Amino acid sequence: MYRIRFHGRGGQGMKTASRILGTAFFLQGYEVQDAPRYGAERRGAPIFAYVRADQQPIFERGIITQPDLVIVADDSLVPVPAAGVLTGADAHTVMLINSDETTATWQHRLNLASSIITLPAEALERDELRFIGATCTGAAARLLGVISRDNLQQAIEQELAQLGDAIIEKNLSRASLAYDSMQGHQGCVQTAAEANAVDYHKPAWIELPFDDARISAPDIHAAANSVKIRTGLWRTLRPVIDYARCSRCWWVCSTFCPDGAIKVDDKTPVIDYDHCKGCMVCVAQCPPHAIEAIPEEQAKQQEAELETPA
Amino acid sequence: MTEQTVTLYRSMKDLPSTHLLGTGTPMCAGCGGLEALNQLYDIIGEKSVFINAAGCMTLLSVYPFTPFRGSWLYTAMASAPAGAQGVRDALDILIKKQRMPADEDMQVVVLTGDGSAYGMGLSATSGAIERNLDFLYICYDNEGYGNTGQQFSAATPHGARTSTSTGRRGYPGFKKDLFAIWAAHKPAYVATVAGAEPVDLARKIEKAMSIKGPRLIIALSPCPTGWDYDPQDTVTIGKLAVKTGIWPLKEYIDGQVVHTKPPRERKPVEDYLKLQGRYKHLFEPERNEPLITEIQQKVDRYWHNVG
Amino acid sequence: MTRKLLTGNGAAAWGARLAATDYIPAFPITPQTEIIETLSTWIDQGDMDARMVTMESEHSMITAAAAAAASGIRVFSATSSQGLLYGMEMLYTVSGWRAPFVLVNVSRGLASPITLEPDHNDIMAARDCGFLQIHCATCQEVLDSTLMAFRLAEHEHIRLPVIVNMDGFYLSFTREPVELPEAAAAQRFVGDYDAENIRFRASAPVSQAVAVLGGAPYSYFRYETHMAAQHGLAVYDELSTTFAEQFGRVYPAIDAYRCDDADTAFVMLGSFATKAQAAVDRLREAGHRIGLLRPRLLRPFPAELFRRLLAGISGVAVIDQNLSMGMGGVLHAELAGALYGHARAPSCLLSFIGGLGGRDISLEEFFQIAEVTRTAVAEQHTPPPRLLYTEQELREMRKLQAIASVERDELNNAGGLEHD
Repeated sequence: MYRIRFHGRGGQGMKTASRILGTAFFLQGYEVQDAPRYGAERRGAPIFAYVRADQQPIFERGIITQPDLVIVADDSLVPVPAAGVLTGADAHTVMLINSDETTATWQHRLNLASSIITLPAEALERDELRFIGATCTGAAARLLGVISRDNLQQAIEQELAQLGDAIIEKNLSRASLAYDSMQGHQGCVQTAAEANAVDYHKPAWIELPFDDARISAPDIHAAANSVKIRTGLWRTLRPVIDYARCSRCWWVCSTFCPDGAIKVDDKTPVIDYDHCKGCMVCVAQCPPHAIEAIPEEQAKQQEAELETPA
Repeated sequence: MTEQTVTLYRSMKDLPSTHLLGTGTPMCAGCGGLEALNQLYDIIGEKSVFINAAGCMTLLSVYPFTPFRGSWLYTAMASAPAGAQGVRDALDILIKKQRMPADEDMQVVVLTGDGSAYGMGLSATSGAIERNLDFLYICYDNEGYGNTGQQFSAATPHGARTSTSTGRRGYPGFKKDLFAIWAAHKPAYVATVAGAEPVDLARKIEKAMSIKGPRLIIALSPCPTGWDYDPQDTVTIGKLAVKTGIWPLKEYIDGQVVHTKPPRERKPVEDYLKLQGRYKHLFEPERNEPLITEIQQKVDRYWHNVG
Repeated sequence: MTRKLLTGNGAAAWGARLAATDYIPAFPITPQTEIIETLSTWIDQGDMDARMVTMESEHSMITAAAAAAASGIRVFSATSSQGLLYGMEMLYTVSGWRAPFVLVNVSRGLASPITLEPDHNDIMAARDCGFLQIHCATCQEVLDSTLMAFRLAEHEHIRLPVIVNMDGFYLSFTREPVELPEAAAAQRFVGDYDAENIRFRASAPVSQAVAVLGGAPYSYFRYETHMAAQHGLAVYDELSTTFAEQFGRVYPAIDAYRCDDADTAFVMLGSFATKAQAAVDRLREAGHRIGLLRPRLLRPFPAELFRRLLAGISGVAVIDQNLSMGMGGVLHAELAGALYGHARAPSCLLSFIGGLGGRDISLEEFFQIAEVTRTAVAEQHTPPPRLLYTEQELREMRKLQAIASVERDELNNAGGLEHD
């Protein structure tokens, strides 16, 4: 059985990507099971989707804990624990990461037994991000080695039928490019040995200790500890204030920020980048247009450069 | 019934510039409801207990994280006002029987979406008002059942596309007039607000906080996910809702309805509609002139009656 | 010490009053209404320092009750059948809040068809929700159980709401002699409610009953609630012992009547078990070694105690005044689950369904049930469950159907009208 996991952000089309791959397998004659999983069902928040494909009927359910192939559409998810990108990845797993950074960089950074393949991320405009799914699916199909270009194409046409010819064309060309680019890695994805009932890893069952309600009630005895969650990791665009142009208007950006992530420090607005989700309301509303939207990757690079000693 | 005639909020300069509600919640980027809640919470303050019904905002507090500096209780979809009744009565009893000092008291605030407010929770709200419960009710109105994928609710406007009204003419029904229904109960205060008009909102919350009894607020909550637009347009769309007259800013107090920010020259509703994907079918593949006109005329009629 | 004639409803109201209840959210429903009317009158007359609020539905009533309990005060409420079910979503919800309060349920048969008379389907529907359940057979027991219920609910190892169940009409509207404890003694027994950290205070912000994502954390909360409910067995034993010491009335988790040397036994809940008790006495006079087990606690389910009390008894007749459609009697099924696989379990566990919608179960029917049970033991063969119904009752039913213009052919074939 092939076990494949997709990781992306809400709005990047991971559910569609998993369906395209699922349909492609189905057209190829496989038994298929595919599904998305949302934590918080929100644009920008991490989501994953999975596909199972086998020659026999599939008697497995739920999330995939031992993936053969992990596809990461948005590399900013890798360091996010809640995204679970690395969960269950072992020596046989192939990690396909959509990233500008090199394979070597990722191998060094993650230090995994799994093999890593990178799929170059083009500097995409915001609305181009929608095609990440097609790119990933095209690459995945080639890595699996059992899905024909024809069936991949047909799957895309089927799953995107209601979006119109123009969009389907774009998806097809992206998928095809990615399919081609993975020629050198064709068929590298291996299925895992199935678990056996003889020497399996015994579950570590315990007798759950009893806790009184003052401990075991679903209550949070804290104030505003949500700040520990860095929703800034959702961002693909970063708003940057040009303080030369900022007119200290008192305080349009701070008032309109939906997340309350802009406060005013000593008459200067300061954006909390740990939590700014990149909605760009402040950019749209700033009266002297003193806030600019910069791609998050670029902003991070600029930050890194500033920190590097001359 | 007393009413504060002097306000702290005359312009945006008077609005708080640090915000009480914690960041890090999983609301969508650009959420108009969260924007309104942020503004409201700054004025309501942390001496409050929010009673919530099922909806998008239920996910503000997911174990073990909460953004509230005050308290919070999640109840169920239909009965948040009943939960408010229990908490308010309990606090009163504790103070009266001197089992709790009066300075431990809190403002009891119901927070629900339009799904609960306009529909399932209407019976509980009606009962709470009728019993003259001393509470604040905030409805964040994103005009549909948002948390389940934007199916239409009783708050969905005529012609809007939702996931259960995907035909070429959108939602065939009409937005329920919740303001009028609440006002018919003759509570202490009813108001409509929008995060895009923060000074108007601040004054209304301030006024509501100075009164006792049932005080109910509907906050227009532009929703990028449900209304299908780029999140950066949340405030633009909110402002247009007011400027086109589609979202009248008004309050009911002492038996009168007063419009607090009537648009001087109403912009055509089209300016508001065409920014939103949920109205795309009104313009493409060709203009649905009759439907656009119908929407415009309804707005015109409303303001004509206001006089 | 005062002994007076009280209805079950009156006894429940006294229980709430003697426990120094702070708050009573209410909604009227037959056959419970007398409870809230009594409490309302006492409050109006200044005899009881509590607040009563009539809500607009039972769903709201349960919500308000639990929200007030979660704010840190002592709460009492009452309902029945359709009302209990209308609030069912909230029964499950609020037990997870771990905020204790007492709810009296006056058992009444469920629609459809709608009736006002008693049976146990309503309280059975609530068995999985997390509320503890105490079942009463007399008006005295209603009062005493209400007092015990507060202590049980508020115990630090439990902190779950408790339902005290009584049969509609046969207890709720029936007067019996009831001993009223002195107010001071009752209050000493019940004590003060210590909300611990589950309450609302401006100085201690808390987010209660929040959403939980993830199967493992969710399972933690549910398992812990279950274990808290199970603690009810030990805590109940402790406080019923204390109650007996202070008030002289003994209420074990299962009332075992003449079981010591029995080879057969009835198992029944509620006030009709009083009739079973009388039947046991008659049967004993006729030379049969039969006893009666009447569980008071249904949740938590006293499995171990059942096994101990039934060890050595060969034939058990469980008489259920409830019916799970497509399955049968609930108490029978739960008891079977507790007994299965245990060495000294009875060899024959029989199921009888009766008393639905207040249908009487006559002494003769008890005698017959006992005989069928004895036969089962002798032949080592358990008959299928019996729905108690007589020839006479069917004849009457056919007459009603004829009046209701039900198909004449059907009635004729069933031998109804023609053999009148």
